[in-house]
Amino acid sequence: MLQAETIQILCLTATSGVPLFSRGSSKQLPFSVIGSLNGVHMFGAGQNTTLSSCETDRGGRVMWRVFQESLMLIAVSGNSATSELQLRRLLENTWNCMVLVLGLEELGNLRNVERLKRELRACFRLIDRLLGQDDHEGMMGELTQCADCLLTPQPTLLQEALDAFTQAASSEFGCLLVRGRVAAATEKWWRLAPQEVVLLSALVRSLSGMSSCDYPIYLPHGSPTVAHRLLRFQLLPGVDVCVLCGPSPSLHQVESELVGCFWSPLTETLRRCLEQGERCLPPTVNLHRSTLALLLINRETRRSVSVCAPPRASPSPPDTAVPLLSASKCWELLRLFYVFAVTRYFSMEESSSTPALVDPPLQEDFSQGFSHSPVHCYLVTDECKCYGLQTPQHQLYLLMDLTVPTFALRSIATQTLSTVTMAMGF
Amino acid sequence: MPSVVPGSVIVPNWHRCAESKEFFSKILHKRKRRKFGLLEAPVLPPHMNVDIVRYKIFISGKSGVGKTALAARLAGHDIPTMHYETTGIETTVVFWPVRLRESGRVLFFRFQLWDCGENALRRFDHMLPSCKEQVDAILFLFSFTDHASFEDLSNQMARITEPTDRIVKLVVGTKFDLFIHTDVTESEVNRFQEVWGVPVFCMGGDVAGGLGEVAPLLNSLAENLWHQDCTAAGSVPPPTQTEPGDATTEIMV
Ligand SMILES: Nc1nc2c(ncn2[C@@H]2O[C@H](COP(=O)(O)OP(=O)(O)OP(=O)(O)O)[C@@H](O)[C@H]2O)c(=O)[nH]1
Ligand SMILES: [Mg+2]
Repeated sequence: MLQAETIQILCLTATSGVPLFSRGSSKQLPFSVIGSLNGVHMFGAGQNTTLSSCETDRGGRVMWRVFQESLMLIAVSGNSATSELQLRRLLENTWNCMVLVLGLEELGNLRNVERLKRELRACFRLIDRLLGQDDHEGMMGELTQCADCLLTPQPTLLQEALDAFTQAASSEFGCLLVRGRVAAATEKWWRLAPQEVVLLSALVRSLSGMSSCDYPIYLPHGSPTVAHRLLRFQLLPGVDVCVLCGPSPSLHQVESELVGCFWSPLTETLRRCLEQGERCLPPTVNLHRSTLALLLINRETRRSVSVCAPPRASPSPPDTAVPLLSASKCWELLRLFYVFAVTRYFSMEESSSTPALVDPPLQEDFSQGFSHSPVHCYLVTDECKCYGLQTPQHQLYLLMDLTVPTFALRSIATQTLSTVTMAMGF
Repeated sequence: MPSVVPGSVIVPNWHRCAESKEFFSKILHKRKRRKFGLLEAPVLPPHMNVDIVRYKIFISGKSGVGKTALAARLAGHDIPTMHYETTGIETTVVFWPVRLRESGRVLFFRFQLWDCGENALRRFDHMLPSCKEQVDAILFLFSFTDHASFEDLSNQMARITEPTDRIVKLVVGTKFDLFIHTDVTESEVNRFQEVWGVPVFCMGGDVAGGLGEVAPLLNSLAENLWHQDCTAAGSVPPPTQTEPGDATTEIMV
């Protein structure tokens, strides 16, 4: 149906199957195929069953999802390596983008389909970014639904500045992002739904070239029918601060009266955060030297840090049998291992606040056959060794290079978990 | 307010002069434009004695006309090839050095371009007032491939400005590179300039030209804004005559 690498998203009206948009592949699916995809779902509904996903014999995968009983989203992947979890997240994120930009009322207004079609175009930038692979590098939030964070050496300094700035802007919701990762956020910001925190970070990343923005947004969970204003200021290229406001103050006001006064004194601190680069941990935290990548999730706060530390192409003897993995390869492997572990062994953090979104579990029968839940798992491939570890508060996903003996993985993982959590109080 | 004769207030084509190099180098980085955060500005050694003057510019025009593309072009960013609707207000800061003709003084203009998606403007009432708050200049856009957008110019200008506003007004025709599809003729453009006394700039195509491509528009903005401020301060410099033959129309591709 589709080329192997591409994923396509279709949106139709749920009751009558009128196509509203399709994004993703440059080659659109033929109308007849779209019709059949919709038809087979309708057929199921007629039999009182919900068709949620299927695999095609030529290695494709399709997932259906109806939102608000009004709109249907279908994700079609030409590649069975795309996991169900990824497609499910994609559908959720796409829907949340649509609500974020247009609000629930607009989306529920199906009386004028042509108008809705026009309005939906406003969501394309964000949806295309969800589908594109380029800017995801190192961003795990869209998959984990936990906010990608950056742990800085001086968190209190930034936190205080952010709290004060947010308050001065007559808001309680403020967030500081460094290279798209949350470096500090106000208490209220953390009380937004995790999906919202992730989505807002993605929105800010998509605006990276701009100096400042004033975007009307709806919060998919917190405020789906009343728009707020997201004010975002690029303090340095790669460092953004944003606040969620009501009708006032104006963008001009906040920028001219508050931005310089609150943030100029911290310019050097912010620059140092930038220098941390891809590494989301302060330089004082030492990881095992064979670490390729890691993802640490705090299950309570729904925050995560991820690090990619592939070995530099060093002048060391090239006779080592270990092939060098690129950073983007490491990220990809980390993502695959996360999906592997979380769908098979570990539990996934789902927000219970949205009953509409409860889906059949993705767990395979394996874990359902046991009364206990696994707390460790590992996987050895010909590219790397992976170790997963789960405690009531954390999940750690660790990628090591092949030189590490398999029996050592467990102790390294345990050690890594305590190093990072102790040092950072994460 | 009638617009200033180009080259009467500032040195025209200054970016081509050797002596401007040390100033333009402050806004360049590896042959591309340097990116500045809001906390940053070009670093100028004190002995240069250069002031930075700030202005707010609003870019107006209907959806798809090329507002976001123009802002990117003027800032030296990558120009979007796809039309994604802008769903709110986005601002872009552009620094631009200029030498005043009379005093020989160098100024760094800091233009903040305000770009608001037309559909967002219509959906949310607070957008237009926000864009117009303390605005110093407005760029009115039409597209060479859309005659209706050209016809709508006068309406557009009347809709968002009052005759008494102290605002510099310039018109920019976008997509001039798509001349095969051109809907708007040169004589129409010339007539518009005569009737309205507002300069029209033509934009489009690759930014391969570097600074030269954006210089005429940025210089004109600087010149008109500076003149407007001097007039307001009551210190209008006597209008200097420019070299004969200097056309008011500036066509650049
Ligand atoms: N060839 C050519 N294309 C252009 C030019 N300017 C804009 N475009 C294209 O026109 C389309 C729309 O441009 P945008 O700048 O996104 O339009 P906009 O005015 O910001 O539209 P809204 O945000 O919806 O109000 C994009 O595909 C641009 O690439 C130009 O000078 N030449
Ligand atoms: Mg735009």
